[in-house]
Amino acid sequence: MSHIAVPLVPVPDHVPQELVIDWDFSKPPGGEADIVSAWKRLHDGPDIVWTPYNGGHWILTRAEDIEFAQRNHDPFSMHEITLPASTTMQILPLSADPPEHADYRALINRFFAPKVIRDMEGEIRELAISLIESFKEKGHCEFMSDFAMKFPITIFMRLVNLPLTDLNDLLAWTEASVRANDPERREWSQRMLFGYLESIIRDRQKEPGADLISAIVNGTVFGRPLTEQEIRGMMVNVIFGGLDTVASTMGFAVLYLARNPAHRRQLAEHPELVGNAVEELLRMFAPSSTGRVMTRDFEYKGIRFKAGDRVYVRPLLHGMDERKFQCPMHADFARKNASQHAAFGNGPHRCAGALLARNEIRVFLEEWFRRIPDFELDPAGQISFEGGMVNCVTRVPLVWRRGAHTSTA
Amino acid sequence: MPKITFIEHDNTEHTVEALAGQSLMQAAIDNSVPGILADCGGYCNCATCHCYIDDVWSARIPPAQHAELDMLSGAIEANSNSRLGCQIQLTNELDGLVVRLPVSQT
Repeated sequence: MSHIAVPLVPVPDHVPQELVIDWDFSKPPGGEADIVSAWKRLHDGPDIVWTPYNGGHWILTRAEDIEFAQRNHDPFSMHEITLPASTTMQILPLSADPPEHADYRALINRFFAPKVIRDMEGEIRELAISLIESFKEKGHCEFMSDFAMKFPITIFMRLVNLPLTDLNDLLAWTEASVRANDPERREWSQRMLFGYLESIIRDRQKEPGADLISAIVNGTVFGRPLTEQEIRGMMVNVIFGGLDTVASTMGFAVLYLARNPAHRRQLAEHPELVGNAVEELLRMFAPSSTGRVMTRDFEYKGIRFKAGDRVYVRPLLHGMDERKFQCPMHADFARKNASQHAAFGNGPHRCAGALLARNEIRVFLEEWFRRIPDFELDPAGQISFEGGMVNCVTRVPLVWRRGAHTSTA
Repeated sequence: MPKITFIEHDNTEHTVEALAGQSLMQAAIDNSVPGILADCGGYCNCATCHCYIDDVWSARIPPAQHAELDMLSGAIEANSNSRLGCQIQLTNELDGLVVRLPVSQT
């Protein structure tokens, strides 16, 4: 991945010097060793800090403030969500504020409704099983390429009736669109994506189906058809909303479990804990993040935000906040407030795909533990991470004893 | 302060003192009534505050609008008495309201 450094911006007059830190969200110090725990360092300093990297922006480090920003689009607007700011497309519904936001959101909500997700569970489970069975007897795998990168994207492509032969291309473009902190590379990947989708959009405008893509391309907002720009923006949002994000959550989950035998044993022996374990893992590893732009001058907890200021919201910091979650760096699968994480956001923008994501992660853990309840990191292998708007674990080599367990599905 | 009775699927009852002006969903959440998830926090986006309102009461509540009906079609075990709790605003006139909860929100 190419990394073109954006020049550091000078500290604005309204930012007190004592709040300025050197922090590149796509390459935090210590991130190469562990992209997740590297962020905990921010809890050693002031609650709200400012960095000259990536166009200059504030960072909210505490759960209470992250929730406040997520719930208050005035003044923490989502009209600008990337850092640095993107000059091309506005992804939708993410970069709309209420009240306009509701019309875009209404086009997609029903495709992720509880009944729809429940009806998909059988297919999700079959896919998880076939992927795990394909390497179970080998006694080793590279979890990301052998499972995590294939699983959510396959489910999504089936959901929208896209040909699975396009999977690898789609994956490459979605990775670049979230991970490259170079705006040009982000915009390139979005252009490639749109180019690919162009013919699909035309097809489904000509012959609408009952799928998510058909609903978007033929949709109306505020009583009028979506513009081409809006269609593109919505396609990009729904496509990469649930790919890297879910894959990385699963990757961080197996990494944690590979290093923590007691937790492995607990899930193997108590599958009824898997549901809450999913929430706990989302709390601890929440991979997504977004930026905000201040709509007006705003004073908050002694900080003087100015109109146009950029603010970074990283739900991972919310989950790590010991003021909300005791012993936050430790997984407690029975934790009572685990589901109060902010991994899916809060307020009107709360992730539309949350139920689908939870279902995928839960089914994955259930079927994994039926077949490979005991496993470790391959000591000869290398773990690797990549930072960015979505934190990713890109390599997790695992080993286990072959034939040690038969499934009792 | 309208009194609302929530009846879980296993017939466990929870009677709560709600606030006029708050949503039925918020009354459940504020009073820790089990069986309402309210995943999206009340924005008619998730259909996990699904509940059943008997006919005798539903006539006294403004009917569901398009956005709510759309989401209800995706709720688990929805029927003609189904409503989303986040879309019902409580008033003093709804004192005594009985709300039944589904077997599951997901």
